[in-house]
Amino acid sequence: MVTPVIVAENLTKYYGSRLAVDRVSFDVRPNEVMGLLGPNGSGKSTILRILTGYLRPTSGTASIAGYDVVTHGLDARGHVGYVPEDVPLYTQMRVNEFLEFMGRVRGLDTKRLSASVDEVVERLSLGRVRQLLISKLSRGYRQRVAIAQALLGKPKLLVLDEPTNGLDPRQIIEVRELIRTLSRELSIIVTSHILAEIERVAHRVAILLDGKLLSVHVLGGQDGQTRLRVRLRAADEAALRTHLGSVPGLSIIEAAPSLGIYVLDSAPGTAYAIQALVQGGFAIEEVSATGSGLEELFLRLTEGAQR
Amino acid sequence: MRSFLPLLGKELRALFYSPIAYIIIAVFLVLMGYSFTLTLFLNKFATLIHIFFQSAGLLFLLIPIITMRLFAEERKAGTLELLLTAPVRESQVVLAKYVASMAVVLAMIALTGAYGIVLAAFGSPDLGPIYSGYIGLALLASTLVSLGLIVSALTSNQVVAAIVTIGISFLLWTIDSLAGMLPEGLERILISLSLLAHFTPFATGALYTSDVGFFVSTTLLALFLAMRALARR
Repeated sequence: MVTPVIVAENLTKYYGSRLAVDRVSFDVRPNEVMGLLGPNGSGKSTILRILTGYLRPTSGTASIAGYDVVTHGLDARGHVGYVPEDVPLYTQMRVNEFLEFMGRVRGLDTKRLSASVDEVVERLSLGRVRQLLISKLSRGYRQRVAIAQALLGKPKLLVLDEPTNGLDPRQIIEVRELIRTLSRELSIIVTSHILAEIERVAHRVAILLDGKLLSVHVLGGQDGQTRLRVRLRAADEAALRTHLGSVPGLSIIEAAPSLGIYVLDSAPGTAYAIQALVQGGFAIEEVSATGSGLEELFLRLTEGAQR
Repeated sequence: MRSFLPLLGKELRALFYSPIAYIIIAVFLVLMGYSFTLTLFLNKFATLIHIFFQSAGLLFLLIPIITMRLFAEERKAGTLELLLTAPVRESQVVLAKYVASMAVVLAMIALTGAYGIVLAAFGSPDLGPIYSGYIGLALLASTLVSLGLIVSALTSNQVVAAIVTIGISFLLWTIDSLAGMLPEGLERILISLSLLAHFTPFATGALYTSDVGFFVSTTLLALFLAMRALARR
């Protein structure tokens, strides 16, 4: 049995009388990217702040690498690298100076510090700006510096709060690639209010609304399946299900029959699924590859909860 | 200790790499130098009593300027989140800020030691009151710095932090003035809280352990409360 890196049980946080997080429980396994998805104010950042020890939960428990974040906070924080939402940095320091400071604060001795700083500078391509003041850096470079400090000392968990906020498209792609690469070495918990971002990087997604955890959704595409979102014209749902039931390797994951939208998993691939639909006499208006049925699920859950 | 030294280094760098420390020290020395020269020429007494009281008055205004940014600036910039989510104790963060601020204030006070040297060169001052006066100034500064730390830990607005610290410090300096209007029990309590009442013996050459204890205990209490203020998140 794999021991989870994060175990959160019934986490609850009140700000005064306002309930920000309501009995949230989930876990994150080694080398897993867990996404926290929800609109602004849904409690994502509060959960991260509890996990990183910045806030104390009103009730409930959370542990990182087996250490309770409240009772063994120092040990728990030693296993976490954290990049807060607005990328706060000591802007009067040079990049090198800042990374060395954060490394020392994380308890790295001189030998490990030097090797660790060199490694993160290389990994985040910060060599060119290493001697510059952080105040002189662009938003993209600041984000890289913030991620670099979080990776010092090889933590078991990387916590990223809205890591693509304020970045240009190229930088967003770079961050996405970095998350994918890093997930081979550590666990990552990442928040976003942008569904497409989470869908592209996470293995599982926790959907939050008004501080409540609505669902933990396993994203497709992790086990070789191709997941497609198709829109069909005037399709009879029952007929579609019957037809696809006779086609091996195809299954319906999500259905919104009133809109003619279906999310299908196809083991043999996209062309196979289209061919099967055409052969069944279904008129395809639109097909798009999707990592999951996340969009439909998110809308369904959040609409249901708000009703 | 391993995390304390880098934290202290960061605080010292923040103070001495910016003009804040130098401007405060320069203003303090100019004003005290002016006062020392004027008083010496007018009175012609080889004593520093007036310098100690005037220094204390200036510390009330200058220390809040040093301490106002300590937590308020970090909270506003968000770096406090970065710091407190690293594997460091709140006590280490508070102590690093206290020690760095005290370093600036003690450097500032130590530089006025030149006045003692001038007096010794041209007269024969009684050195006892000079030593006790400096000990008193250092202890008073310690209490004021720790008061400033608590206030800064409670707000993200530096101006608010400075004004509230000045207000509390002045209230504690002069609180014994109210004593005469109150019943005997309360009178004693107010006098025992007065910074002026505890500082005056040092400035005039008397060193009582009760006064030392007062400044040390108020410093420790204030530092403890600052840690609690940080921990209450």
